[in-house]
Amino acid sequence: MNFKLLYYFLLVFTILLVSSCSRDRISKIKDSRYKIGDHLEWAAKNWNDQQWENKVDVVEGEVFWSRTEVEITKAPESFQHYGIFINTFGEYDVFWDGVLIGKNGNPGQEATREPSGELWATFNIPDTLATKGSHILALKTSLYYFPNHWRKLHIHVDDYDHLVRSELINTAFMHIFAGAFLIASLYFFFLFLNEKKGYPILIFSINCFLFFALIMVEYVKFYVPIHYSQHHIRLEIIGGLTFCIAILAPLYFSLQFPFPNRKTILITYIGVLLFVFLIDHYSYDLTAYNIGMTMWFFSFGIILYGAYKKMKGAIIVLLALILCALINAITYYDISLFAGFGIILLGMFYILSVRTKEQRLAYEESLVQSTRLRLELLKKNIQPHFLMNTLTSLIDWVEESPQKGVAFIEALAQEFKLFNQIENQTLIPVSQEIELCRTHLNIMEYRKEIKYHWEEENIDPDQKIPPAILHTLLENGITHSLPNDDNSITFKLIFETGYTYKTYTFLTIAKVRNTEKKIIEGTGIKYIKARLTESYASKWSFSSEAIPNGWKNSIKIDN
Amino acid sequence: MNILIVEDEARIAKRIERMTRDFFADTLNSLHHVEALSEALEFIKNNSLDVVLLDLNLNGESGFDILGTAVSESFHTVIISANYERAISAFEYGVLDFVPKPFSKGRLEQAFNRVLSKEKTETHKVKLLAVKKKGRIQLIPIEDVLFIKGAGAYTELFLTNGKKELHDKSLEKLQQLLPDTFERIHKSYLVKISEIKEIIVKSGSKYIAELKNGVLIPIGRTKYKDIKAKWL
Repeated sequence: MNFKLLYYFLLVFTILLVSSCSRDRISKIKDSRYKIGDHLEWAAKNWNDQQWENKVDVVEGEVFWSRTEVEITKAPESFQHYGIFINTFGEYDVFWDGVLIGKNGNPGQEATREPSGELWATFNIPDTLATKGSHILALKTSLYYFPNHWRKLHIHVDDYDHLVRSELINTAFMHIFAGAFLIASLYFFFLFLNEKKGYPILIFSINCFLFFALIMVEYVKFYVPIHYSQHHIRLEIIGGLTFCIAILAPLYFSLQFPFPNRKTILITYIGVLLFVFLIDHYSYDLTAYNIGMTMWFFSFGIILYGAYKKMKGAIIVLLALILCALINAITYYDISLFAGFGIILLGMFYILSVRTKEQRLAYEESLVQSTRLRLELLKKNIQPHFLMNTLTSLIDWVEESPQKGVAFIEALAQEFKLFNQIENQTLIPVSQEIELCRTHLNIMEYRKEIKYHWEEENIDPDQKIPPAILHTLLENGITHSLPNDDNSITFKLIFETGYTYKTYTFLTIAKVRNTEKKIIEGTGIKYIKARLTESYASKWSFSSEAIPNGWKNSIKIDN
Repeated sequence: MNILIVEDEARIAKRIERMTRDFFADTLNSLHHVEALSEALEFIKNNSLDVVLLDLNLNGESGFDILGTAVSESFHTVIISANYERAISAFEYGVLDFVPKPFSKGRLEQAFNRVLSKEKTETHKVKLLAVKKKGRIQLIPIEDVLFIKGAGAYTELFLTNGKKELHDKSLEKLQQLLPDTFERIHKSYLVKISEIKEIIVKSGSKYIAELKNGVLIPIGRTKYKDIKAKWL
C-alpha cells in the first residue's frame, strides 16, 4: 500500500515539475548571429549585423561577439524585475541594448588570468531597459579552453526572482528525493553488515547510494559555480554513475529472479552496455539516455521471465517498469531518467520487502516445524499403537512369567529414558541413536517373539545425526518384514565417509511383506526427511529400495 | 464355534487364542490365527465363521480396509485394538464390540458373552449396513431401511427407495446390532417403529402393522402388547 502511495507521489511530483516548466513566456528569442573580432560598438542596439554569421570557428580562442534579438512580449508589472539566464560555454561580458549589465569571467584575458565565471548565470536587466518590444543581447565571448567546442547559446528571459529561485526550488525537491535514497542506502548497508550473505541487500544499498550521488551531481550546478572548462568532469561523473547503476540494477534483478545461463547473459549485457557507453561517449546526455534504455530493456526481460515463472513480486515490478516507459514517453530527458531510475529502485525495494517477508515466514515455518518434529519424536512412544500393544504384551508376560515381565518393563523404561534425553536435540551422537535402536529391538522381541539381531560396521560413535531417524527406519523394518526361516531378522548399520560426504546405510535382512505393493511415503519417511532438512538444509539425500535379501535405506549427507 | 483371530503381534495373538480356548472350551470348533489382511480376506472367503476378532492396525495396514467386507458377512466382528479413536466409526460400520488394548481376560469374555447371549450392543452406534452386491461392498445408511425380513440364514432389507437388498447376517444378529428404533414385531420381521402408520386388529386375534408406504406386516401374537405400548 505504501508503495502505491509513493508511486502516486512520484506521478504528482512529475506533473508538478512539468507544469512548472510551462509558464507563460514573456519573450521571444531569435537566432543568434556571430562575428569574430572585438569592437565595443557591436553591443549597440542598432548595429547592423546582417553580415554576421550563424556560427563561428574560434580555432585560436580569440574573442568573438554574438548578437541575439530578444522581443519582450509583456512589460514587467510594477516592482517586477526582469532578468536573463544564460547557459553557454566561455567567459563573456553581457550587454543589453548596448549597456553592460553583467560580467561572467574575463573574455579575452583567459590565457593570463585564472578561470572565473560559471556555466549557468543569471543577470538583472535594468528596469528602464526591460520594456515591451525588441531588444538586443550582445555577448563578448572568449572560448580559451575549448575553442572548437561549439555549444549553442541558451537564453531565457523571465522574472528575475523566478529565474533565480525556480531551479533552486527544483533542486531542493530533488535533494529531498535524493536524501530518501541516501537513508535507504545507509539502512540497507547496515542491514548487510549484519547479514553477510545478503548480496541483494548490498547491491540495493550501493545502487541507492549511486542514485543519491547521481542526483547530487546533476543538481550541484545550480548552487556550486562550475567553470565551463570543468564541465566535462561533472558529465563524466554522471556517465560513470549511470553506467554503474545500469550494471547493478539488472544484476540485482537477476539475483532476485534467477534465470538459466545467468553468467553468460550478464557478461553479454555488460559488453553491450560498455559498447553503448563508449561508442558516442562525448554525447554525454545521449549516452546516459541510451544506457538507461539498455538497462530498461534488459531488466524488463529478466522480470518478464520472472513473471512468466510466477516468481513473487515480479508482476508489480513489471508494472513499475512499464510505468517507467510511460513516463519516458510523456516527459523530457532529465525527468524520465530520474523518475525512471527512482521507480526502478522502488521496484527493487519492493522485491526486497517481499523477500524479507518470505524469509520471515520461512523462519517462522522452521520454528513451527522444529516444534512439530519434537512433538512427533515425543509421540513415538506414547502413540497408542506402540504403547497399548506393548502394555498388552507386558500384561501377558507378567501373567506368564513375572521375571520376564520385569525385564520387559526395564527395557521399556530404558527406551523412555533415552527418548527423554534426546527429546529437545536436533543432533545426537550416533552411539546414542544406536542404543535407542537396540533398546527398541529388546522391547519388540518381547512383543513379536522374533529374534532380532543388530550389526554395525565402521561406526564412528562421535558422529552426530538427527534424533530417531535410524529408530524410524528400524520401526519400518520391523513393521514391513517377515522373519527369515530361523525366525530372525537382522538389522545392519554401515557408515562410510569420503572427502565430501558421509553415508549411513541401513539394511534390513528379512523377507519383505508385499514387495509389489506401491511404496507410499509414510509419516516415518516424512519425519526422517524433515529432520534431515532441519539439520542439513538441502545437503542430503535419502533412498529406500528393496534388495534380494531384504530392504536397503541410504542416508547421504554432504559436507 | 468357528473363530478367526486377525492380529500381527505374536504375543497378543497367543493371549487372545489362549483366552478364547479357555472361554469356549468344548464348544470351540475351530480357531485360526492370521497376521495380514490379505490372509484374513482369503480365510473369510473360504471358511464358515461365527466370530472374527480383528485388530485395526496390522503392520501398517488398516483393518478398516477389510471391515466393510467383514461386517457384510454372516458372522459377528469384534475389534481388539489400540486405536480407540476409531471405536465410534467401527460401531457405525456395525461391529458387535470394541475391546480396547490392553485388555483383561474379563473384558474379552464380556465380548464373547455378547456374541453368545445375543444381547444388543450397548452403544447402538451402527449407522451403516454393508451388503455385498456384484462382488462389491455397498454401505446402506440405516435411516434408509424401513424394515427387515428374515429369509432363512439371510435377511432382506426393504429400503425407503422401494428397493430390496440381501444381507448375509441373520435377523437375530442384525437385531443385536441395530438400535432400539427397530423392533422385532414378528419372528420374521424387524421394523422401524416410526414407520408404522396404523395397527390393524383383525378377527381371530390377527394383528397387522400398516407402514406409511402402505405395506402390511404381521405382528406376532405375543409381541402385540409390547409393540402397541411402544408405538403409542
